[in-house]
Amino acid sequence: MDPLPTDFRRTTRRGFLRLAAASASLAALAELRSLPAAATSAAGEASGRFFGPSETEILTQIAERMVDCGQAGAPRLRATGAIATIDRTCLALDPATTRLLPTALRLVEYGPLVFDWTFRRFTQLGDAEKDASLTGWMTSRFEIRRLVFRALRNLSLLGYYSQEESWPLIGYAGPLLRPPRPSA
Amino acid sequence: MIEKLLERGGDLVESADVCVIGSGAGGAVAAAELAARGRSVVLLEQGHHWTRADFTQREDEMLPRLFEEAGMRQTTDGAYTILQGRNLGGSTVHNLCYAFRAPEPILRLWREEHGLSELTAEALSPSFLRVEKNLRVKQILESELNASNRIIRTGAQRLGYSGFVARHNREGCIGAGYCILGCSYDAKQSMLITYVPRASAAGARIYANARAERIEAEGGRVRRVLGRVVDHDGRPHGSVEVKAKVVVLAAGAVASPDLLLRSGMANGSGQVGKNLHLHPSVLLAGFMEEPIEAYRGIPQSYYIDEFINLEKDPHRGYILMPISGFPVLTAANLPGFGRAHFAHMAKFSRMVGLLALLHDRSAGSVESGRSLTKPRIAYRMEESDRLELSQSLVHIAKVLFAGGARSVLAPYWQDPVELRPGDDLSVLERRGVREGEIGLASTHPQSTCRMGADPRTSVVNAWGESHEVAGLFLADMSVFPTSLGAPPQLTTAALADRTAFHILGRWPEFAA
Repeated sequence: MDPLPTDFRRTTRRGFLRLAAASASLAALAELRSLPAAATSAAGEASGRFFGPSETEILTQIAERMVDCGQAGAPRLRATGAIATIDRTCLALDPATTRLLPTALRLVEYGPLVFDWTFRRFTQLGDAEKDASLTGWMTSRFEIRRLVFRALRNLSLLGYYSQEESWPLIGYAGPLLRPPRPSA
Repeated sequence: MIEKLLERGGDLVESADVCVIGSGAGGAVAAAELAARGRSVVLLEQGHHWTRADFTQREDEMLPRLFEEAGMRQTTDGAYTILQGRNLGGSTVHNLCYAFRAPEPILRLWREEHGLSELTAEALSPSFLRVEKNLRVKQILESELNASNRIIRTGAQRLGYSGFVARHNREGCIGAGYCILGCSYDAKQSMLITYVPRASAAGARIYANARAERIEAEGGRVRRVLGRVVDHDGRPHGSVEVKAKVVVLAAGAVASPDLLLRSGMANGSGQVGKNLHLHPSVLLAGFMEEPIEAYRGIPQSYYIDEFINLEKDPHRGYILMPISGFPVLTAANLPGFGRAHFAHMAKFSRMVGLLALLHDRSAGSVESGRSLTKPRIAYRMEESDRLELSQSLVHIAKVLFAGGARSVLAPYWQDPVELRPGDDLSVLERRGVREGEIGLASTHPQSTCRMGADPRTSVVNAWGESHEVAGLFLADMSVFPTSLGAPPQLTTAALADRTAFHILGRWPEFAA
């Protein structure tokens, strides 16, 4: 068996530089194998939230693309409690589970610079470019990148599809009436 | 007495005849039977004590409450999602109520290949009868099948596949369908409303938010359990110390070996944490012409056993089971993102899920991780298992089409396959099942502290007692010598019942 992956033998000088840059980022991602994972950022912690303001904005823009349905009249993610739900979920998890999530967000934010050679961050891209960037994460040959994608995708789906506003879109009737609470 | 330590505050210092660790299908049964027969029992449960008033039927609230890592626990490579309970009552609070006895060919295998000559159907019968009575196990009626189970039954019958409507532990079920998020009506006869209250009524002191972190032995005999009071997120608060003559470890096939490894005990065989079987499962989604609302009604009652013949070969086979989900769980299992993902989600109300659950031979492992809530779980399918699960995809698709599906989706993460009636299904077998390419899940991790007669190759004997540490018993799915090849709830409970009666019979020895 050829020990060198085919892709490696085909690598050009430019490709090699890209690979080196990507590898440096991936090395930082090594801790992300069991995702989702990051310590609550200092900014987030101070406000009683998991993500700080800049992380929240990155997360929001990622989640908007993850749940984009192209339907007129669909509830906008920002108009729902989706991001607050994600934040609350992360805050409630053991830090060992969420330790590297803020790092993952920043890697996606700066991903276009490293992987796509564009001098703009994720949040500066148009919708189509954001989708292309996320597709790069989803289809990467690096397992770590795919895991980052899946973690952020699943958090986005948790946030959005747990919102009542999203249920009519998919024909979900929602929970049945709750039973009466036991008397105190 | 059931106490939430987090609300009480402070440390816990206790002593008892028996300390039970874990309150699921094994621990709750052991605690109740021991307490009912005069033993003083302390039960430690790391999770919170939620009740039906907390079961809101909302995924964003219930997944973090009822599941380890909010339902996002995975193998270290991210390929398998492992759903395990983290609450008083353990996984019985979120399971879907299949109630099967251990298949006789599997017991025979355990007798013949693992030296467990005591494990006969006759010997286990009293235990099965007791747990079936206490869990109110009964046959699900044909009239109780929901839309998706009826579709799948129709498909199986048209194809001539063997299948049947199973027995469940439900009482007065109204068919709301939210079983996996905890039963808001106390119809599911989980440990939370059966054995845990029985244990409490018999005098057991039950502590939620109490995480066991170390078991200590002295002179070859178990002596005490040390741990922490933890909040639902696993953050430590006070300390826990329980002195006991006997410890029954029933924390599940992931946490039990982790605790033994951290305690540095009972592992002379080197088998603690090894031999992990997952009953790995893969699912396909069928889409019907009209909305069927598969999420309403009893989610999982039909059972297709056409592809498992344990009499003929007790080492292999797979079962087909209906599965339905709510929006978040469904969305997580569908491929892609954005509009491509929504193209599938838009058909949510027309969706029928059918999964294959493999009676696996592949063996993974559990090792202690950086955090007590995050052990390292490794599992990789052997080629023969992979081939079998790949073959199952074709049979799943056949059942869905025969049941009336207009299309079937194989949700590969990349390039998902959507088939129409008449399409060549062999594409599914060729594409197959590979880790990282399609969603794989496990709700039945098992065998990580396996039973056996030989102390060189097993962790506990036929009664669940450690070969090495007197007074240390295991009573959860970790003791299964092999994959069970059937839903494990009743077998776990029956073996725990048997272990409890064994402890009672030998009590003078432990009391000395």
